[in-house]
Amino acid sequence: MPYYASADDWLRQSQLLLEARPATTRVTTKYSIRPAKPRRKAGGGEEETAADPATAKPPRGVLVLKTFDPKTGTALKYKTTKAAEVSRLVQGLGKLGRPMAGLPELRDEPMLDAPESGTGTPAGEKAAAAVGGDEKTPGAPAQGQQQQQQQAAGGGGGGKGKKKKGKR
Amino acid sequence: MGHLSNDEFFVKLQELFDGRKGKDHGAIYLTQKRLSYKQPIPEATTDAVIPELHPPQPLPILIRATNGKSKEKRKEKLKVKLSTVVEPDALPAFFARYADVCKASMTTLKPRDRSKRKGKAKKKKTTAAPAA
Repeated sequence: MPYYASADDWLRQSQLLLEARPATTRVTTKYSIRPAKPRRKAGGGEEETAADPATAKPPRGVLVLKTFDPKTGTALKYKTTKAAEVSRLVQGLGKLGRPMAGLPELRDEPMLDAPESGTGTPAGEKAAAAVGGDEKTPGAPAQGQQQQQQQAAGGGGGGKGKKKKGKR
Repeated sequence: MGHLSNDEFFVKLQELFDGRKGKDHGAIYLTQKRLSYKQPIPEATTDAVIPELHPPQPLPILIRATNGKSKEKRKEKLKVKLSTVVEPDALPAFFARYADVCKASMTTLKPRDRSKRKGKAKKKKTTAAPAA
């Protein structure tokens, strides 16, 4: 279960997963509070107890977003502790609500594929269908779906290649 | 428990969040998924299109909120479980309000701290300069 390094990555991959499997995929947001870990100082314990009431750290909150499809077992996660991200993330949840509800994705450009199929086919499927010619083979949509899922699964490693900077 | 209306849901959600305020542990789970139960989706046919991928009309979304308390706690009425159904055309309005409630209630997350970041950036610059 990869954690994505950026919220945008998570949102994009979740969107793809939802477009591929809108009926079973769910998005869970966990907001958890845990007591802050007491910092042990190398010095005596007396100092610690004396300083505690004054500088006691408030409990820490963590926000974990998870997109999960039980049918394929795909789970995409994102974790943050920053309050500044909350409203943007919830707006992202609203965006994810569109493919969930079966609504076409909001786009700035006019939708080219709307009149033909009338169902708001995602771009990946459309491309697959175009390659196979105009005849609608049953394989074409499934192929598009697979590609999307591979993308969704393959993106997991992306966040881990982060460089660690040496501390001085 | 049946589904709440969107307005009731927000009231109860606020209560749920308020209940955690000042506590040093605990969690709140918010879930969203398509509501496909008892919805008019056509049976899978021989058509190339999978019906659930492209429903004839947009489907509502089910939103759940819980504090994740176990079964034992349920007896003590400590478990809170809320759910509401959002119609497709009400989605933007719902999520705008949802974002407000979440932003206002998730108070234990780290607040934006500009001064600290500025100091860090300065530090980096000074350490990077001798290395280059």
